[in-house]
Amino acid sequence: MSRARPIERAALVVAVLVAALAVLGPLLAPHDPYAVNLAQSLQGPSAEHWFGTDVNGRDVLSRLLYGARETLPATLVVIAAATLIGTLIGTLAALGGKVLDEVLMRITDIGLSLPSIILALGLAAALGPGLRSAVIALALTWWPGYARLVRTLVREVKDAEYVDAARTLGVSRLRLVFAHILPNALGALYVQTTLDVSAVMLVISGLSFVGVGAQVPSAEWGAMIAAAANNLTNGWWAVVFPGLAIMLTALAYNLVGDWLRVRNDPTLREGAR
Amino acid sequence: MTETLLAVRDLRIAFPGRTGPVEVVHGIDLDLARGEKVALVGESGSGKSVTARAVLRLDPDARLSGRIDLAGVDVLALPARRLREIRGARAGLVFQDPLASLNPVMTIGWQIIQPLVIRGVPKRIARRRAIDLLTRLGVRDAAHRFDDYPHQFSGGMRQRVVIAIAVIAEPALLIADEPTTALDVRVQARVLELLRELAAERDMAVLLITHDLGIVAGFADRAVVMRHGRTVESGPVEEIYARPRHEYTRALLAAVPRIGGDPSRPLAVIGEGETC
Repeated sequence: MSRARPIERAALVVAVLVAALAVLGPLLAPHDPYAVNLAQSLQGPSAEHWFGTDVNGRDVLSRLLYGARETLPATLVVIAAATLIGTLIGTLAALGGKVLDEVLMRITDIGLSLPSIILALGLAAALGPGLRSAVIALALTWWPGYARLVRTLVREVKDAEYVDAARTLGVSRLRLVFAHILPNALGALYVQTTLDVSAVMLVISGLSFVGVGAQVPSAEWGAMIAAAANNLTNGWWAVVFPGLAIMLTALAYNLVGDWLRVRNDPTLREGAR
Repeated sequence: MTETLLAVRDLRIAFPGRTGPVEVVHGIDLDLARGEKVALVGESGSGKSVTARAVLRLDPDARLSGRIDLAGVDVLALPARRLREIRGARAGLVFQDPLASLNPVMTIGWQIIQPLVIRGVPKRIARRRAIDLLTRLGVRDAAHRFDDYPHQFSGGMRQRVVIAIAVIAEPALLIADEPTTALDVRVQARVLELLRELAAERDMAVLLITHDLGIVAGFADRAVVMRHGRTVESGPVEEIYARPRHEYTRALLAAVPRIGGDPSRPLAVIGEGETC
């Protein structure tokens, strides 16, 4: 085990805290996140409403706590699905020979050229608008980047002498891939996926903004920002606090990702002899 | 006299080239008895490494013809899926650069027991055997170093780890491909000594591949000199040193630096053309 630096420990705490808040949100929220009260519209932060209220008089803090339950799982599902598909396709392309490589990379090119918004619109039409359509559309358009990355990483590692050396010992192809090639190849992928947490959060909010993601009155963080952006001048808190939530969560996941990468690469650990 | 372990007959090796297959080894014969130590000597590009790798059919692109018999197994007739059974178990390989041939993200212990684990030996037993072997190879405090990573070892210690990996499944043949080239002279001598001791203890044959005739003399029983994919000379080491028959062997011998030699003497010119 490597020791985490203080900043990484803080990041880990924040990441866990955000997840815990998402789970416990309904118990902690001081107000009903969906209760419209126009008399309380656009109140600044106060003892009653810590983060103020939005244009419909809903408590921003309560909405943030509920929203974490939408934004966070949606983001993680997109990243996990894209990582899984991308790693599978990229590895097969790198190791499966010329023909398979060519076929898979052309499919990847097609995937790369699909705009996620158009696909989400199509899916929204087919499945009905909602976060689910946005998540599926994003996962389907996000994996090609990972497939490209993984293919390059695996190609760099597959001819390494230690892979050849393992082959001389009678190690099976499957074990070569999972014990020797992938653990050495995927370091850069961890960094990319954790960096992408923030990007995916923003795209989900973008999809919500154009109306194919989370639907009104959902408290999805991006949807909250999109809805409140019109009143930025007279109600900054309704934009800034969800924005801070996204930023803080994204930052925490980036740092955790970096720490994971270092933990995974023994040569980067401190205290190496 | 003794039982034959490895018999290579008229081995030809070709690789696909831009204008059709290019033959790099043109019919080699090679014999090793059990426990025998043979040096395969030649300059870079002479075909010594691909010949040794052919024994385990390690280059998937190579087209091999002739016959390789390893402990009663016809290697060239073996279906590809059964090759795994002989790799590591009948013959182990030690590479030139110990750091490059170790997986950087796995502990050395994990790597040493791998040949046993993939053959179904329980981890606990494999671990004990690995620690005993490391201790035998002179790795101090082996039980503690078992969970260390390759970059935490010195060059000489890494080569001991690589040797441990190659011999833990008790192969009858160890192929050492320039095992000392990346090491300093003092460590070289110790590693060769360890290989010699292991070979004697286990009645293990060693095929030492090298371009350095300086290390052959104290190690091998016989030497086979290769050039341009052909054998130019073979025989007992003493004989080759005392009475090299081929001009190329003489030139190789003259290239070994000697203490007391005239440092301003130009290096021997290794003649071109007489074999190709």
